[in-house]
Amino acid sequence: MNAAIVWLVVALGLGVLTVRRRSVAVAVVSLQALLLAGAAAAQAHSADDAIATAALGVRALLLSALLLLVIRRTRESRPVRADSGPLTRAGAGIGVAVALAWLVPTLGLGDRNAERAVLALVAFGLVAAATRRATVFQIVALVQIDNALALAALAGAPGLSALVELGVAGDLIMVVLVAALLHTRIFAEFGSADSRHLGQLRD
Amino acid sequence: VTNRVVVAAAVPLVPLAAAALIALARRERFAERCALVAGALTLMLAVATSVWALTSASEPWIGSWLVIDAAGGVFVGVSGLVGAASLAVSPTYLATSTQSMFGDDRPHVHYYTALLLFWAALLALPLAANVGAAWLLIEATTAVSALLVAYSGKRRALEAAWKYLVLTSLGLGIALLGLVVLQVAQHTADGPVGLTYVSIHRAAPGLDHQVTLVAFLLILAGLAAKIGWAPVHNWLPDAHSEAPAPVSAMLSAALLPSVLLIAWRLKTALAPSVGATTVAHVFILFGLVSLAVAVPFLWRPLAWKRLLAYSSLEHMGVIALGVGFGGPLALVGVVVHVAGHAIAKSLGFYAALPLLGVQPSTVSHPARGVARADPRIGAVLGCCLGALAGLPPSPLFISELLIAIGGVETGHTWAVAVFVSLLSLGFLGLAHALIDALAGRRRGIRQGLPPGRRIVVALTGAGVALLLTLSGGALALPGSTIAHALAQGLV
Repeated sequence: MNAAIVWLVVALGLGVLTVRRRSVAVAVVSLQALLLAGAAAAQAHSADDAIATAALGVRALLLSALLLLVIRRTRESRPVRADSGPLTRAGAGIGVAVALAWLVPTLGLGDRNAERAVLALVAFGLVAAATRRATVFQIVALVQIDNALALAALAGAPGLSALVELGVAGDLIMVVLVAALLHTRIFAEFGSADSRHLGQLRD
Repeated sequence: VTNRVVVAAAVPLVPLAAAALIALARRERFAERCALVAGALTLMLAVATSVWALTSASEPWIGSWLVIDAAGGVFVGVSGLVGAASLAVSPTYLATSTQSMFGDDRPHVHYYTALLLFWAALLALPLAANVGAAWLLIEATTAVSALLVAYSGKRRALEAAWKYLVLTSLGLGIALLGLVVLQVAQHTADGPVGLTYVSIHRAAPGLDHQVTLVAFLLILAGLAAKIGWAPVHNWLPDAHSEAPAPVSAMLSAALLPSVLLIAWRLKTALAPSVGATTVAHVFILFGLVSLAVAVPFLWRPLAWKRLLAYSSLEHMGVIALGVGFGGPLALVGVVVHVAGHAIAKSLGFYAALPLLGVQPSTVSHPARGVARADPRIGAVLGCCLGALAGLPPSPLFISELLIAIGGVETGHTWAVAVFVSLLSLGFLGLAHALIDALAGRRRGIRQGLPPGRRIVVALTGAGVALLLTLSGGALALPGSTIAHALAQGLV
């Protein structure tokens, strides 16, 4: 896989950690998925590959439309701020990515750069879910981890991505639909989709 | 054989079809009746599949997509039983629920549709021969059951559902990365060979050890979030305590062990490449950490459903240890434990319905002095907690004993010593909660017939009979064909 595309996808992943607006984060993960779909199209050789590429592209467009609609319907009166600043979040993301690259000796993809990129995307997704307080960012983090899987499938073994992408795209859309419904209910109940409100249940 | 395969395939299809009918009809009365009929039919099919799987344990049916083996048979039977009982209790829950996340737009239709879809996915899980299909089913259970957890629409329920959805989806994302890595490893070794348990096991000796180890750890770490193993269990007490009681029962008694079965099958399939000792140690570690995290909470004065939730964490730890120890004795202990835990735990969650009627404060405080206020409900609580604590003649006492002996037999004496110590501490915590719930100082007692008492007492009678039968049966299992089939697995 083209190294420039791989690192562009990672740079966009870092954007999910640092951007302020929810709509920009949605645009960033959608662009990520579309870039991956483009890369998949470029190396497609069979009908299976074409199906996988289409699944990835359609999934990206559907999810971005859904999430942008949800954001439009749940406009915050004030921006939901994260506990830490963008530089701190980016630093945490890079730190976790380096730790994962050190801990995981190989993913067997045959391209160490692609492996590091996959692990970096996973790390950024986990850190985004843990540090961003707006619930939409946590949904975006789930999509980002899914993009990491698509990258792994593309870099690892051409021909297996059809199975992975079709099944996963369907399930991801279902999970994001439910997450969007819950997000809307949380917004209606608390007046803001800020996960700080979700802290009543403790022992 | 064909007829039996058709019956097994029909087990998840009946609730799936019922869910579709209910969603199309959109009538509340029809939804309830259709769900109950589908529940009875599915239970019969599940029990038939279970009996067939156990009576022909030495000859499992293994196809490309469907598998019917002894372990799967037990899990299908358990999920069938718990699902049918949850459907039977659901009208009582719905009659007492005052609000819904779905507002006034036919909330019962949404409830039954989601519950039946959840049940269908749960029933299909032990029958799936392909780990990729199993992953898709697990993800499907997450989406549907998150809606059910949030069903009441209360703030606490929304919080619980959100945590559950995000944490388990993140975990499943990690597990899927493990599956992709495993698939890539197969591709690199000898071309793609698929993700059935049998094909993974056949390909395992030729796979790169390091890559397969990474894949196994990623898959297990991801599934751990769904099983509720510590330290990735944070969603579990919240979701179990805030979900409607019939859903809590299905989450704890059927979902957690069913996902654990997938981890167990992968352990067997990947052992030739990862190493039998390594895979065993990973399970043992998860088991001991889960027990160690759960026990202090069993000592704390917790609300009834939260106490049961931490007890689930403890029992998932016990099952993980049994799978980790391996060997016929420990694995017999595992299946007995899964069945016994399912019966006792689901009765415990159903008892929350009348308990709230007797002592409304139990929604956020521990149950106290219930036996004197309502002896029947007190008896129900006593049976549940006694069985869960492993008080003889509970089958959980026998299963824990079998797991401990199995651990010593397979040379894990140090782990058994820690296991028995933690188990004893957990027993004392639950025993204290039991005494307090039955004979503690009464407070906030409401007079009158609590909702659902009749059905919960009837289910408890049947449940106790089943528990005693299981205790008797458990003693006959060691050395049987079933024990050997469990140790053999899908290979």
